[in-house]
Amino acid sequence: MSMNLSHFEAAFLFALFTSVVMGIVTKNTDRERFQYGAYVFVCFLAALYGIGWLMQLGHG
Amino acid sequence: MAKESEEKKGPAMPPVSVWAPAVALGWLIPGGGHFLLKRAGRGALLGLSISLMFICGLLMRGAMFQPQSGDLLTTLINTGGFIGDVCSGILYLLTSWLGYTQPDMAGAVHDYGTKFLVTAGLLNVLAMVDAFEIAAGRKS
Repeated sequence: MSMNLSHFEAAFLFALFTSVVMGIVTKNTDRERFQYGAYVFVCFLAALYGIGWLMQLGHG
Repeated sequence: MAKESEEKKGPAMPPVSVWAPAVALGWLIPGGGHFLLKRAGRGALLGLSISLMFICGLLMRGAMFQPQSGDLLTTLINTGGFIGDVCSGILYLLTSWLGYTQPDMAGAVHDYGTKFLVTAGLLNVLAMVDAFEIAAGRKS
């Protein structure tokens, strides 16, 4: 059994798991944890798309 | 004056017996330290996230690092990677005992898998630090 994911799927999963842990360990209330986790996740996705497009444009 | 210097040093280190069980259990079982400290919800989410990340790494056939000596970069990458892998606790131990061997191969999926395995360990370190702070009374 193995997983054959695309770059986007693998990076999406990475962002998801990392955001959950970052949200839990950094803040003090559940509301703050959820907000920070969502913020980190959105930042990961923005970086993913942004750097992806930069590479696409730089590659020509 | 004495109070000022105490404030500069930060909070005093609590006794080892207060935090060591939670941190040790947190290493062995991701999220276990939080369960011990009666933070079951957070413990379950941490355990689930870290375990799923590790399992995804295995399913992507990521490579496990072994400490190697050589030039500085080789030593740093392999020893650092090995420490990251070991920090996953029981997940790493079970995988090693069950004979998982995957050579480091070229390919994006394998590469992601290797990073997932190391990152699962590093996230567990964050969970262990959180367990320490809760046990020490620095965090709720």
